[in-house]
Amino acid sequence: MNAIEISNLTKNYGEKQALAGLQMTVPVGAIYGFIGENGCGKSTTEKIICGLIHPTSGSIKLFGKDYTDAAVRSSIGVLIESPGCFPALTVWNNLMIQATNLSLPNKADAVREVLTLVRMEGAAGNKYKNCSLGMKQRVGIAMALLGQPKLLVLDEPINGLDADGMRIMREILVDVARKGTTVLISSHILGELEKVATHYGIMRHGKMVVEMTADELERSCPTFVALQTKDLATTKTVLEKQYKQVLTDEQQEFLRVYDAESAESVVKYLYAQGIIVTALKTDKIGLEEYYINLMARKEGK
Amino acid sequence: MKKLSSMLGVDFRRMMTSPLYYIMVGISLVMPVLILVMTTMMDGTVTVDPQTGVETVMEGFDNVWQIIGSVSGNSQSMSMGLTSMCNINLLFFVMSVFVCLFVGDDFRSGYVKNLFTVRAKKGDYVLSKTIACFFAGASMLVAFFVGAMFGGAIAGLPFTLDGVTAGNICLCLLAKIALVAIFVAIYILASVIAKQKLWLSLLLSMGIGMLMFMMIPLVTPLNAGLMHVLLSAVGGVLFSFGIGFGSKVILAKTSLV
Repeated sequence: MNAIEISNLTKNYGEKQALAGLQMTVPVGAIYGFIGENGCGKSTTEKIICGLIHPTSGSIKLFGKDYTDAAVRSSIGVLIESPGCFPALTVWNNLMIQATNLSLPNKADAVREVLTLVRMEGAAGNKYKNCSLGMKQRVGIAMALLGQPKLLVLDEPINGLDADGMRIMREILVDVARKGTTVLISSHILGELEKVATHYGIMRHGKMVVEMTADELERSCPTFVALQTKDLATTKTVLEKQYKQVLTDEQQEFLRVYDAESAESVVKYLYAQGIIVTALKTDKIGLEEYYINLMARKEGK
Repeated sequence: MKKLSSMLGVDFRRMMTSPLYYIMVGISLVMPVLILVMTTMMDGTVTVDPQTGVETVMEGFDNVWQIIGSVSGNSQSMSMGLTSMCNINLLFFVMSVFVCLFVGDDFRSGYVKNLFTVRAKKGDYVLSKTIACFFAGASMLVAFFVGAMFGGAIAGLPFTLDGVTAGNICLCLLAKIALVAIFVAIYILASVIAKQKLWLSLLLSMGIGMLMFMMIPLVTPLNAGLMHVLLSAVGGVLFSFGIGFGSKVILAKTSLV
């Protein structure tokens, strides 16, 4: 069974079409990285899943049932844009409010449990408005985790977090997924997403461009040989005589050869041309590069 | 029913743990003291316009209960003087600030996302907000009443009024409390229409509230009887359900974020 099944979902804001027949499948237990440029419809999709806005047409099933089903809806945890907390109240009171909304039997225990899960046991008495951005995001996650939801919908939860905050958030997501919760997470920080996601969905102009597992992404990402020489410009000219796909990396430090048989063959070729390789490595392109290339292809660049 | 009681629990918990409620009740308590003491101090003061030479005599309250209401049939009940404007009915406007902040906070903080994602019923939400805000409005009226007695005592104003008994005054206050339901329902409707836009909810509340404002002294005279209370209560219930239904429909049909 899938946690989320969306077919032909459309959403129009007047003349503007935010979603144009979206198809999307999120398997149960997945950490689904939801990717796309700003305004492509990710947040709109998440808000529709959470029942916060109404779709124009299409169908959404959560765990095999219509998304409006009361039982299904009570098993969703959500963090969209910002945690829905009252600034003047303490972290504890904010969480107790949500625990009361969910009619949880042991509210205090449930709140303590989620605070432990997000490593915020010591900050329960802090007023929400006095929390740092990282802490606020964690309070939002804690709130979403109350009642042990089967589906967690997170919209840009790692934006603005420092390295430590991102690491903690990563650990939390892995912990949650290990316990069987399906996580739908949208983010522009693809490097971070790549470390936790088991599935990906890439959107563009209100449509799904591609859905794949982390393994499929791994197989789709080409290996390349990266090398350094004393004169990159000359080396590039020489390499282009032998290989079709030679590029300089973003930092202008390495030359990348994508269609080489092996690193050894590149080094031998350059040596024969009188060029000494000073540094050499083989690597794979990551999610970010895959995404950029995919978008460039879609735009016909 | 369980969900409604949970929501009520949340609303009362929020109300009691945030300063807004206490500030509003505090203002309601202090306001009559200031009004009564200051108008009594200025009573009889003559000011002369230096350009026109026109003299204006400041008139204060003759009686403590004048700040709570006016006797029906008395022409002053519809007059626009200082003593008829600066009275308990002002609180019906102050309430709009409380309701707009209280309900608007749900939208501004994003709390509605957490609430409605887990399938809270819109009707329960409106009803819960109405009950909580009604309680707040009623407490403000009671605080004003208490403040009026303190203010009256400090200003040395008489507590007796011909044709008005203590029972009448209590019934007058009860009728006003019943009317709170109507105003609260209007302000909640304005708040769910405006959502995050506080300025719009205040503007709508004040605008619609102003239209209803003149009804208050007519329905709740100082010499009120049981019939006044009954009429106000029936009106309060009917209006708050009717307007509340409108709020529910707006919540159900429009985007919540």
